Amino acid sequence: MSFFSIKKNLEIIVSLGVIALALGLALGASGISSEAGYAGIGPNFLPLLVSAGLFLCGGFLFWEAWSGGFRNGPDSDPSEATQEKPCWSGMAWMSAGLLLSAALITTIGFILSCALCFACAAHGLRQANTRPSQTTQPQSIRSWVVDTALGLAISAPVFWMFTKFLSISLPGLTQSGWL
Amino acid sequence: MDILNHLLAGFATAGTPVNLLWAFVGCALGTAVGVLPGIGPATAVAMLLPITSQVDSTASMIFFAGIYYGAMYGGSTTSILLNTPGETATMVTAMEGNKMAKSGRAGAALASAAIGSFIAGTIATIIVTLFAPVLADYAVRLGPPEYFCLMLLALTTVSAVLGQSTVRGLTALFVGLAIGLIGMDQITGQARYTGGVPELLDGVEIVLVAVGLFAVAEALHAVLFEGTVKESENKLSRVTMSASDWRRSLPAWLRGTAIGAPFGCIPAGGTEIPTFLSYAVEKKLAKGENLAEFGNQGAIEGVAGPEAANNATVTTALIPLLTLGIPVSNTTAILLGAFQNYGIQPGPQLFTTSANLVWALIASLYIGNVMLLVLNLPLVGLWVKLLKVPKPQLYAGILIFATVGAYGMRQSAFDLVLLYAIGLLGLVMRRFDFPTAPVVVGMILGPLAEAQLRNALSIGEGKWTIFLERPMSLTLLCVVVSVLVLPRVLKKRKMVVLI
Repeated sequence: MSFFSIKKNLEIIVSLGVIALALGLALGASGISSEAGYAGIGPNFLPLLVSAGLFLCGGFLFWEAWSGGFRNGPDSDPSEATQEKPCWSGMAWMSAGLLLSAALITTIGFILSCALCFACAAHGLRQANTRPSQTTQPQSIRSWVVDTALGLAISAPVFWMFTKFLSISLPGLTQSGWL
Repeated sequence: MDILNHLLAGFATAGTPVNLLWAFVGCALGTAVGVLPGIGPATAVAMLLPITSQVDSTASMIFFAGIYYGAMYGGSTTSILLNTPGETATMVTAMEGNKMAKSGRAGAALASAAIGSFIAGTIATIIVTLFAPVLADYAVRLGPPEYFCLMLLALTTVSAVLGQSTVRGLTALFVGLAIGLIGMDQITGQARYTGGVPELLDGVEIVLVAVGLFAVAEALHAVLFEGTVKESENKLSRVTMSASDWRRSLPAWLRGTAIGAPFGCIPAGGTEIPTFLSYAVEKKLAKGENLAEFGNQGAIEGVAGPEAANNATVTTALIPLLTLGIPVSNTTAILLGAFQNYGIQPGPQLFTTSANLVWALIASLYIGNVMLLVLNLPLVGLWVKLLKVPKPQLYAGILIFATVGAYGMRQSAFDLVLLYAIGLLGLVMRRFDFPTAPVVVGMILGPLAEAQLRNALSIGEGKWTIFLERPMSLTLLCVVVSVLVLPRVLKKRKMVVLI
């Protein structure tokens, strides 16, 4: 499958997603009261309007995608110009970092979970940066250690600044307020 | 004289050591944020929204305003020195600024941009000082139909006029409106799209949407697609301007200000049109050797004009925000969110109910511009070092701050998952070139516009003709139509001029 037909298929998926969202909104709007009072329009008016608008936009996008792709795209996106494959492994690392920190933040505390997120995300980005020469193995233990240390060095002062100086509560590992 | 008294009182409030410190930190942070790729003023303000629960309203608005216009100064540094154009606001500066930097005149370009920003910012602040109270006095007389038309105008311009595709802009707008629908209906208190989740009754936090769409999506996009994009950096030369640079820059600054200031005042947002217009004007007015420099060695007018226009627009955009409560850009939308966190609804009454806050804010604009001039002229070398931060650490660091902002607002780990989901949505939008500003503006302005619409219709006893019967709202509706038509004509002409 050539690059352009993949792009076309993706655009069709995006436009169908917009239509699906419109239908979902319409479905939800049916459960909202239409009691209007003096205004003549009730709480369900805007939901229905937004749903109709999204439906029209989705339909138009579908037509555009079907007949040669979205119009007036960016003239030259540097990342598209190279037509390179997206780096899914890097994406996976970054996603893992974000979701892990979301899952662990209340148990291991802000500083550790953010350092973890930092290390995973930085690892993913390094992977993305070194893709052309995949033969070498640049991900050493050393870079993990450096990233984790950096993550700690950034998140700890942030934690202290927010909790001590601005008294915004963020979860800690201990009750001491310093970790 | 009344204005002068208020302004002096504002200076007294803004001039306290604590508030000066907030302004300074805001300006410094704003410059840093403007210089760093991948994070803009909207993201930075959004991430710091949780402080609204602790910090006094005046201090935090001064702080946020510092970030807001500090980023405009910092943005030009990046666009002149890096060969990748940043936000739309600095795209035009990049065209000539980059050429100048390549031919060894980076210093002059940076100086012209910074001084031009200062002059334009100061003139625009004077305009804000003089006209915002007048407009507020006038705006008190506007009723719901007029407000609705004004909001309609803001929503149309931000989605349909700016950006490359009207249909994608509108799609983004409707997505934003849909997010804004979640929660309790403002008038009847009816719950909408909450799915029975009690947290959603308050609606979706703007921090989540803004930080997810901008910061997380940006990081995900970087890891997926930008791994091998190579950037090259231009050399920094001494930040001075020769006599001829001054002679050429000064009129360009003033013209840029004159072009930019009106665009901020009307709810027709965006700096894209005024900066392009200013660039076209400068190119048209240039003669002989100066004209030959455009597009070759880089003409200093092409930096001075658009940069001044940019800052003038950004500053006067505070007028519709403060007097009408209508945001016209990402960052002003988030500033509106910050006001709302304090239970303050910007609008014509703001100048009477929160006079202290407003005038301190305006006074801090004057102070901040001076601070920024100092931060950006002698100290520009310091900020340039930020460009050396390697990409992996930069984006990973941004994610930490995203976590702080999203978690700090409601202390809910679920919000972090939602943040990731919105980041994915932003990634798709970014990939398929959907603009993100309409989402944020639509989400903030949608509920307000809906309330005005229903109040207006109540006044008209359910008849839609109410919008046509009142002269002011009829005029505004005509403006909406012309705003849809005019820029298209201008754009066509602009293209012709540029080519």
